[in-house]
Amino acid sequence: MLKAFFHIFIFPGLLFLFFFGLLAEYLDRKICARLQNRIGPPWFQPFADFLKLLGKQDIVPGEADTTVFKLMPILALTATVTAYLYIPTWGSQAVYSFNGDLIVVLYLLFIPTMTYFLGGWYSRSIYSMVGAVRSLTQLFAYEVPLFLTILASALLANTWSLSEMTHFYAGHPGYWAFNLLGFTIALISLLGKLEKVPFDIPEAETEIVAGTFTEYGGRLLALFRLSMDIEMVVVASLLAAVFLPFGLHLPSWACFIGYLVQVFLIIFLISLLRSIFARLRLDQMINLCWKYFAPLAFLQVLINLILKGVLS
Amino acid sequence: MTQEEKIKQELSENFPFLKDAIIIKRERRIFLDVAIEQCSEVFDYLVKNMQFNKLSAITGLDEGDSLAVIYHLSRDGATLFNLRTRLSRDNPSINSVTPYFSSADIYERELMDLLGIKVIGLPEGHRYPLADDWPKDDFPLRKDWKSKENTPGHKGLASTRSAQEGQNA
Amino acid sequence: MHDSGDIKIPIGPQHPALKEPESFLVTLHGEKITAFNVKIGYNHRGIEKACEERTYIQDVYLVERVCGICSHSHSTCFVQAVEEIAGIELPARAKYIRTIIAELERIHSHLLWLGVAGHEVGFDTLLMYAWRDREVVMDILALLTGNRVNYGINTIGGVRRDIKTENIQEVLKGMDILEERTKYYIGVAQGESTLIKRLSGVGKLSYEDAVRLGAVGPTARASGIERDVRHDDPYAAYSEVTFKVITDKHCDVYGRTVVRLKELLECYSIIRQLLKKLPEGPVTIKAPRKIPQGEAVSRYEAPRGEDLHYVRSNGTEKPDRVKIRPPTLANIQAVSHMLQDSYLADLPIVIAAIDPCFSCTDRMVALKSQHSRKKDVVLWEKLRLDGIAWHRKQGSDFSALNKKLAKNLER
Repeated sequence: MLKAFFHIFIFPGLLFLFFFGLLAEYLDRKICARLQNRIGPPWFQPFADFLKLLGKQDIVPGEADTTVFKLMPILALTATVTAYLYIPTWGSQAVYSFNGDLIVVLYLLFIPTMTYFLGGWYSRSIYSMVGAVRSLTQLFAYEVPLFLTILASALLANTWSLSEMTHFYAGHPGYWAFNLLGFTIALISLLGKLEKVPFDIPEAETEIVAGTFTEYGGRLLALFRLSMDIEMVVVASLLAAVFLPFGLHLPSWACFIGYLVQVFLIIFLISLLRSIFARLRLDQMINLCWKYFAPLAFLQVLINLILKGVLS
Repeated sequence: MTQEEKIKQELSENFPFLKDAIIIKRERRIFLDVAIEQCSEVFDYLVKNMQFNKLSAITGLDEGDSLAVIYHLSRDGATLFNLRTRLSRDNPSINSVTPYFSSADIYERELMDLLGIKVIGLPEGHRYPLADDWPKDDFPLRKDWKSKENTPGHKGLASTRSAQEGQNA
Repeated sequence: MHDSGDIKIPIGPQHPALKEPESFLVTLHGEKITAFNVKIGYNHRGIEKACEERTYIQDVYLVERVCGICSHSHSTCFVQAVEEIAGIELPARAKYIRTIIAELERIHSHLLWLGVAGHEVGFDTLLMYAWRDREVVMDILALLTGNRVNYGINTIGGVRRDIKTENIQEVLKGMDILEERTKYYIGVAQGESTLIKRLSGVGKLSYEDAVRLGAVGPTARASGIERDVRHDDPYAAYSEVTFKVITDKHCDVYGRTVVRLKELLECYSIIRQLLKKLPEGPVTIKAPRKIPQGEAVSRYEAPRGEDLHYVRSNGTEKPDRVKIRPPTLANIQAVSHMLQDSYLADLPIVIAAIDPCFSCTDRMVALKSQHSRKKDVVLWEKLRLDGIAWHRKQGSDFSALNKKLAKNLER
């Protein structure tokens, strides 16, 4: 009981994720700033932002559905934190795992996007509604290539459990190279999930102010932002677990350091991508995902199926 | 013969009464005053037969006894033709040139708002550039215009300041 | 609202896409724009009326404040009209200096636009880069005129400051840096795939439509119209330099980007030519306080297109009528046309692509400051150092970065 409490609230649960998520936000902002030839924020900036938002008044628009409006940030945070429990961090074994937890994680990661939609829709502001519709439309575009590439990796490992996948790739460190195509596609699709440039269409500030979050402020916005930061960590960890060689049969603390390095690498790639691209239009994004990424993801599935046949 | 003289000649041939009215101020600047009755006719000819394909601006003037409107027409080679017509002060009205240039819309609204010149044939639309609560019969670019009690912002900062002082006291 | 599936979105009067208060009401069907309604006039400040109540010299400074970016354009245009009425022939050096400042202003305006365009399509890196490089030209402007934005260099009958010989080298050095950077941006514009995707085919304005709607400036030139007042109706020293009128056949936002970037290269060449030929002599001649009766129309190629001023004098020291037709007013009509059947996502960049300046468009009233009558003269360099020191105290020290940048640029 106590152990479960520790896992959920302290490590690798809420408290650890809180710091790690905000650190990830700092890294993302700092790297992006340096790439853009700016100084960037000091390390405590995300913490300061969070605290400041906590101290502000919550304003719920008169037209909005109060329950949904207030519930959504909490739901988003819960879903992302829960998803993290199934991803291995300390050693190559996650805190909780069973055969099929990969699917659970993917669906838990689907919930935040759904909360952006619902939160935006029930804000009843025009900008929020357009943003909400955009995040949902975008979801249907990037989910397919993302799921397919993860499926491909899982096929090669012959398991539906993240921990076992990690074990498998730790045992066969050379195999990750076969998944390189899948990794690239998954990384770019994840920019859609994280709503970052070039796929920050739902929040395009020059068109629809802040999209879903236009009406959010104070503690609710703080929670939403925290959940987005944590989401970044979770998806980076997911990519690390699914695609990158993880444990390599090292002691647990060394695995943890390896895990951190991999997550930072992925965050760096995300920041790099978001500073070298312009924002795409929704139709262009859907085109890109369906015309190029989805077939390429299928190709990855095919490669892995053949590979599995050859190797076994 | 320079370009400007050619324009002058061609116009004088078609509109003999304009012969002395066309003034070539300098290279690329031609001024012409026409009576309101002939304005549309001359304008039509300039646009349709003399390639004046761009309306650079419309200026409204208050000349004291009358109001005036200047159409600044230009064409390639940068000759600027300034066609001026005078309107009576009591009931100034002029035909819209939006059938020729849809971009004239905004300049004509300016004439309506700032000088109170009626533009016949101008489609409905927002007023420009004055605020929506500006009085309908108040035309600030006329020479005899004075800020009135009902002019928005008439009291301006002074009233705000005295109100604040009143609150403080 | 929900019956037809159409949504009405108000863009403005306050909106992050707009740097100035203007209102666009967009009707959307899905992501497509079905109707578009412009309402401008929020920035009307009655400048034209105010001009009638001030002397010519006061008006020069008032007109300069019509717009924050093309301030030199408006003041030059106004001064030219007044000089034409008064029959003042300018000293050659004054003409050259005016032209140099005009071109520097064009550089600063185009670089600013490039950054804004990048921001509107979500490419913030371009914004940061372009605005960093813009500082080079801002510093040159401050060096030559003493001000970064409202230069205050024009006066009736000449210019108020001479260009010192030792500053010419600085300007030329800046031009070399900027030329290299501009070539890099042209490479970016032609090579960066997401940027091209967002810019090309967006905001189409065909040659015929551009003629019909009376577009001016880079907007017209990107539709293939060779329309440039500097070339067609040369003023100041433009008749003494050679330059190309840049046109493009793309007819879209991409074309407008290319036109502006290539124009920058022309600007550098014009400035080099002018500095090389800069004649000796006085920079100003005495102008009468009372301008004789008359009228004149003056045209000027502002960074955004043709600027037109009509001035009418009545023999007193105040003008009878000043009419300002800024370039945005001529281009705003084209925007509604460009936005037909386009996407909401394209709206910001299409509006930005004409480089709108609504302050210009609506004109204004000057603010009278009642208190700050301080007569302190603070040198620009001191102000700059103060600023750097202040920021250092706040914890952001740029000196290491600046050194590194300077080293990179030298290389």
